[in-house]
Amino acid sequence: MKIGFPRALFFFDYFPFWAGFFHCLGIEVVTSPATQRQIMEQGLKKVSDETCLPLKLLAGHIQALKDVDAIFLPRMVSVELDTYNCPKFLGIPESIVSAVPAGIPILTVVLNWRKGQRQVLKDLQIFGIQLEKSKLEIRKAFSEGQAWQKQYQDSMGAGWDFEESMRKIEDASKGLQHAPSVVESTPSIPVTVQTRERLRIALVGHSYLTQESYANRNLLGRLREKTEVELVQHVSQEDVDTNLLGLRKKLFWNHAKQIFGAGNKFVRDREIDGIIYLSCFGCGTDSLVQDMLARKAREQHKPYMVITLDEHSGEAGLVTRLEAFLDMLERRRTHESYVSTYGECLDRDSNTL
Amino acid sequence: MVLGEDNYFLGVDVGSVSTNIVLLRSDNTVAETLYLRTQGRPMQTIQEGIKLLRTKMKTSAEIIGVGTTGSARQLAATLLGADVVKNEITAHAVAASRVDPRVQTILEIGGQDSKIIILRDGVVADFAMNTVCAAGTGSFLDQQAARLSIPIEEFGSLALQAKHPVQIAGRCSVFAESDMIHKQQLGHSLPDIIAGLCQAMVRNYLNNVGKNKDIRSPIFFQGGVAANPGIRKAFEDELGQPMIVPEHYGVMGALGAAYLAQEKAGMRAETRTKFRGLQLGETQFQAKSFECSGCANRCEIVEIMQEGISLAKWGDRCGKWSTAVESGVGLNITKGASEKRRA
Repeated sequence: MKIGFPRALFFFDYFPFWAGFFHCLGIEVVTSPATQRQIMEQGLKKVSDETCLPLKLLAGHIQALKDVDAIFLPRMVSVELDTYNCPKFLGIPESIVSAVPAGIPILTVVLNWRKGQRQVLKDLQIFGIQLEKSKLEIRKAFSEGQAWQKQYQDSMGAGWDFEESMRKIEDASKGLQHAPSVVESTPSIPVTVQTRERLRIALVGHSYLTQESYANRNLLGRLREKTEVELVQHVSQEDVDTNLLGLRKKLFWNHAKQIFGAGNKFVRDREIDGIIYLSCFGCGTDSLVQDMLARKAREQHKPYMVITLDEHSGEAGLVTRLEAFLDMLERRRTHESYVSTYGECLDRDSNTL
Repeated sequence: MVLGEDNYFLGVDVGSVSTNIVLLRSDNTVAETLYLRTQGRPMQTIQEGIKLLRTKMKTSAEIIGVGTTGSARQLAATLLGADVVKNEITAHAVAASRVDPRVQTILEIGGQDSKIIILRDGVVADFAMNTVCAAGTGSFLDQQAARLSIPIEEFGSLALQAKHPVQIAGRCSVFAESDMIHKQQLGHSLPDIIAGLCQAMVRNYLNNVGKNKDIRSPIFFQGGVAANPGIRKAFEDELGQPMIVPEHYGVMGALGAAYLAQEKAGMRAETRTKFRGLQLGETQFQAKSFECSGCANRCEIVEIMQEGISLAKWGDRCGKWSTAVESGVGLNITKGASEKRRA
């Protein structure tokens, strides 16, 4: 059996679990290729225009899955205690049914950690009947998935690179490698040398936006060309948790929690010159979190900019904002250190963006 | 660098609606300003501007530095051979703080976009631009003026005659229009409706663009819409502070670009400008575009040619085309210019 796994939305954070799960069951998993123009266009055609860009991309990726026996669209209600995923995750697969090509069955399962591990396992075992796998096999696969996910999560931290980490998981799921050895790669990436000459920018937002280099017009790459970039995943879980303590009420959504916790850490970090919040048009959780973070940033006088993505293909708007933001930080720094504003670094590099 | 009386800096701001050109004397005074409608043909408009400029300049006059800004800054830089290419935010901020170094807030409303820039001690501390919606921009006013068949020039002075401005929904130009029609049908006077519209637009701007910004005096109001006294008054009423409209409010971006070109020239006295000469107005430029078939992204590549010689290519995600020209003619401004500067 060959299962299609769209490279969108839940792929970015939870693929390792499912890759390990199916690998253990001996089921082949095929992922769709990285987003390109055709995938995006196909996606835009198939879903309601009311919904958000990541969901539209999911629709495009579903259609890009060729020669598969079924498409896997899990309903990921919750991945940890006391939180929910975004409501749009909960609406899958029904909300995306129209994008699935006729004749290809959808495989789905509920994953709800709010109800505890026993319930999760029970739901997976019911799913196992469809896959013709025994309860024992499912139990084993579940532990394997957990182990893959843990290894992936443990690889995060300073210097973490999504592409590299994920490639290891994918190789492993294709059987090219016995098991993902993500952990060992971490030390090989040197902790970035603190070069004070380069600006340090924190890019916060959902991983399915920050790592989606086609849809975000290669924002991460552009930033990395000019600055040192810090991501939400570079912040340790302890740091995220301590930075959530000041809230009057707990955040419901686990993504929002991570983003706010990490963002709040960046706000207080003196090494960070500025924060860019990457959001997309129509994102409900971001509408709250981006403003909460803006308030924190204002208190600390930390430069902060929100970039809202939608389906544009023109880059001018993004480039202008990015250029102006980096220009501002550069000028600020020159000003603060009392170097003449007529100095060389005034407009250094700013054209290249 | 010895600055003669005949030496000028050129600032060009190519926006979606207008193309502005400023000629700056070496003593920082403005010698000439041009305001042209871009009308979707930026290349021709730039050439027209240069032609016009040539007729106004003495033959002994020399341009010793060029700066470009605006959404077509890259295109303009390629055609002209610019020394500085800058985004609009920086250009506007530079121009305003040269006019008055104490300025703390800049409200800029142009045809298709609007922005707010917060300055502290002469440095940009924060900024915001409008999102995809054009509701808080000049084109919104243009549209409504056309609907009421009032010339946009009279719009503002009519608003000042209002006695009791009406409340108009300003979130969206579609809502505003239906609201205005209702108010008209009820018999409200035209000045009251127009003043209401100005207030709605200012509210919209402050809620969207100016959200969470610390607006402090002195406040500069610039961009094409600053010509409208109705909007100016609405801002003053809303903020309770006077608006300062600088003399060259309509061409501040171009002025900023000229100042930046001047800064640049001051920094490297030994090098000459990259300006390609005033005869540019007479040559032929062509732009052609094609779809690259190198990968699935199918990028739309634009190529700028001058009499058959390729000047620049852009639009590619991978750099395959934009770097190809660089090694050849060496006029590519995207990478070439900055690398030279770094060296």
